[in-house]
Amino acid sequence: MSSLNVVSPNPEQLLRVSGLSVEYRSASGGIIHAVRDLDLAIGEQESVGVLGASGSGKSSLAAALLRLLPANAEWVAGDIQIRGKSLSTLPRAELRRMRGAGIALISQEPALALNPVLPVGRQIHDVLQAHFTLDQTQCNEKSVAMLRAVGFDDPERILRAYPHQLSGGERQRAAIAQALVCQPAFLIADEPLSSLDAVTQSEVLRLLQRFRRELKMAMLFITHNAGVLSALADRVVVMRAGEIVASGKLDELGRNADPYVRSLIHPEEALTASNGASTHGASTRGDVKNFPSARAYAATVSATSMNSANFAEQTVRMPQQEGSTPLLEVVGLTKEFTQRGFLSRKKFTVRALDAVDLSLRQGSAVAVIGRSGSGKSTLARVIAGFERADEGQVLLQGVPKEKSQPIVREVQMIFQDAGTALNARFSAAESIYEPLVVAGQGTELERRQRAVQLMEEVGLDPDWYGRPAGEFSGGQKQRLALARALAADPKLLILDEAFSGLDLPLQAQMLRLLLDLQSRHGLTYLLITHDLNFISLFASEVIVMDEGRIVERTTPLRMRESSQSVTQQLVRSAERMHAPGLEAMA
Amino acid sequence: MTRYLLRRLGHGLLIIFGVSLLLFILQQAAPGDFLSDMKLNGQISEDTAKVLRAQYGVDQPLPRRYGRWMLSVAKGELGYSFAYNVSASSLLAPRVLNTLLLSVPALAITWIIAVPLGVVASAWRGRWLDRFFSAGTSLALAMPDLLLALLAILIALRTHRYPVGGMHSVGAQDWGWFARMKDLGWHMVLPVAVVVIGSVSPILRQVRSSMIAVLDSSYMRAAEGHGLRKWTLLFRHALPAAANPLISLFGLSVAMLLSVTLLVEVVMSWPGIGPLLLESILSRDLFVVIGAVMLSTLLLVIGNLIADVLLYAVDPRIRVQA
Repeated sequence: MSSLNVVSPNPEQLLRVSGLSVEYRSASGGIIHAVRDLDLAIGEQESVGVLGASGSGKSSLAAALLRLLPANAEWVAGDIQIRGKSLSTLPRAELRRMRGAGIALISQEPALALNPVLPVGRQIHDVLQAHFTLDQTQCNEKSVAMLRAVGFDDPERILRAYPHQLSGGERQRAAIAQALVCQPAFLIADEPLSSLDAVTQSEVLRLLQRFRRELKMAMLFITHNAGVLSALADRVVVMRAGEIVASGKLDELGRNADPYVRSLIHPEEALTASNGASTHGASTRGDVKNFPSARAYAATVSATSMNSANFAEQTVRMPQQEGSTPLLEVVGLTKEFTQRGFLSRKKFTVRALDAVDLSLRQGSAVAVIGRSGSGKSTLARVIAGFERADEGQVLLQGVPKEKSQPIVREVQMIFQDAGTALNARFSAAESIYEPLVVAGQGTELERRQRAVQLMEEVGLDPDWYGRPAGEFSGGQKQRLALARALAADPKLLILDEAFSGLDLPLQAQMLRLLLDLQSRHGLTYLLITHDLNFISLFASEVIVMDEGRIVERTTPLRMRESSQSVTQQLVRSAERMHAPGLEAMA
Repeated sequence: MTRYLLRRLGHGLLIIFGVSLLLFILQQAAPGDFLSDMKLNGQISEDTAKVLRAQYGVDQPLPRRYGRWMLSVAKGELGYSFAYNVSASSLLAPRVLNTLLLSVPALAITWIIAVPLGVVASAWRGRWLDRFFSAGTSLALAMPDLLLALLAILIALRTHRYPVGGMHSVGAQDWGWFARMKDLGWHMVLPVAVVVIGSVSPILRQVRSSMIAVLDSSYMRAAEGHGLRKWTLLFRHALPAAANPLISLFGLSVAMLLSVTLLVEVVMSWPGIGPLLLESILSRDLFVVIGAVMLSTLLLVIGNLIADVLLYAVDPRIRVQA
């Protein structure tokens, strides 16, 4: 390896990573090898996709390329050369000039990549002024041009706006404008799409493709969604546990037999697989595959998925067999939000919900889809009782849902980021049985037993019940959150973008678990989502929302023939992104 | 904005009212009043004492006394001083000005020192500079304010550079205004320094920890990835984002600073509210005590009001109301 370092730099090579190792020191004193002895080369104008499950070291690689590793991480070995310059020996001032102007970074969460208390314009200006000597007007011209280039019709408004006044997609586009305003030669995009809705995802994707062409940029695109890479990457490397386990063109990798690679490229297989062979990530003992009913379910699915239309029709018919009163009925819900400016009387009123009607039958699974800002989360929050509607009513089994405790407990909600919804210091068992303590149910022993039972049910090792919740991984935390929601024995589970933060194989696993729980406990699901991943395999009914209104009620199968432009847009975007599980719709 | 301000103002008035009520109830619970000591004096007969009690109105029931006090507040008198036989406000007014003369510059200097040092400490977290500040603030925190004031007097005595206590030199009233100002400024140096040292540490530490939380955030990492200069990152991007808890702290720091100021005034014989308050507590000069406490409450409420307005101006998110 050392001989490589003496070889004179290849002019065609933009980036050369050799033998890179990055370690994290965990709080308990252990060492985590995030990146191990990794070699990677990227040529000028080449676009490389990095595919991997969460925790595979993709983001650490991105951070190392900019020398932006967090304080508890250490670059232990290896070298990174950019156009022949070694990053490890680069002086601080030169490193700063390279960041932003030479290598740009688009980070994961658009909401978190922009400073919340500064106007977007100032944040873009500061990047420009860090690299060029420009006066105010020149800065303004450049930023306006850049904002126009990322697709804003009214760049002046965006310049003045604070991040919280922009939608998720607008924020991501503003963040891209900020990253690319100095026209870098190399762009690192770290999961830039994972928190956006399907339509915005495909917009941003097209934007990145265009910039790559126009600016002749090289690119390192980090993702867990293989579908995205087909449009963007010349070459794909697959990472697992800090190492590159496979590389090549995406269609070549699609034929790879390695179960890990398969689970990333064909995650929907995990939902329909008839045995546990493809559930690579579920190393947890007592996983779903140990449950007889799960296996039985999987068998049904694999049988019916031959004719997926048949399968979906079945699930559509199923709810109608239940009693006549719907479990949940929502009548004419309306909710408005008002916002005002500093020293001004101007008010903006946003109508988040506009006379929404909805009815859910016991044992059904209904998906509410729509772009971000379409009011679907507000709907979920009103049903769960976190927000009070301005008008309208929520009826649970025909009874108006007031603040009365026992009724409220029948509706449970799981949020997008389960990690932040759990107290990291609580043990797993405490996290699960806390709702029982609040409700004053059971003795200490009974609660513990229930917690252990629930852990088994959601596929967590019951031996871990004393572990702090903070030490579980993302997917495991989502399972903990599920167990916690189930503790109160609810009838209705609201899943508010509950899987958006998870990578696709994990999403598939969670959905399989939910379907299994539904068949055993007769649960009803309201899935709020902005993408169509696995939708045809999970939901029997789809409700499409836009600007606070329900624009269409349909089934996953009929979505494609929809006459509504919103629905069509969502379907088209999902197809462009190769949403897994959508194939079943064909 | 106006509604927000009015609501905050309403809260402030409610607090002031509540404090005054509480003061009256508490003083009722404490044994004795200004006239109790007369019982020990053999020369004053029972009857005289009774007449005096009636004259001062201390024998009346609590609601009535409270009502009368409110009336005098409305007239701007704040009750009357038993000891000096004048309205409490005429005693307090000049002294409030003297206290403000000490505490306002001290407040400004404290924040001017604490913010940059806190930012620097957070940026070089764990390095020798940060450790030096950490040791320094620990020392200042551990040192009683009383000791600091006494040390200042000792310094004045030993060096002969600074006046030992007081606010003016003897005979200063005959000097020209410039000389008088200079004299006043010279007298202020040590007390202000003591107040600053006594109150800078918790603020500096708060700035540091607030900044550290922001510096660890993903948008700061993103900004660093865009190649921003260190000082731009620290002061233009991180500080405004970290300002929220600090602005709330500003309101509280007024109270903290005031308590240090009152003590320093007593020790260094600065003619502010502090010495008067002490004296009136000892002599149970009820309305002067209540007046002084009410004025401190007022300052605290004003401090918090300023903080609320600043918060509204600095953080666009506060302006979002459902």
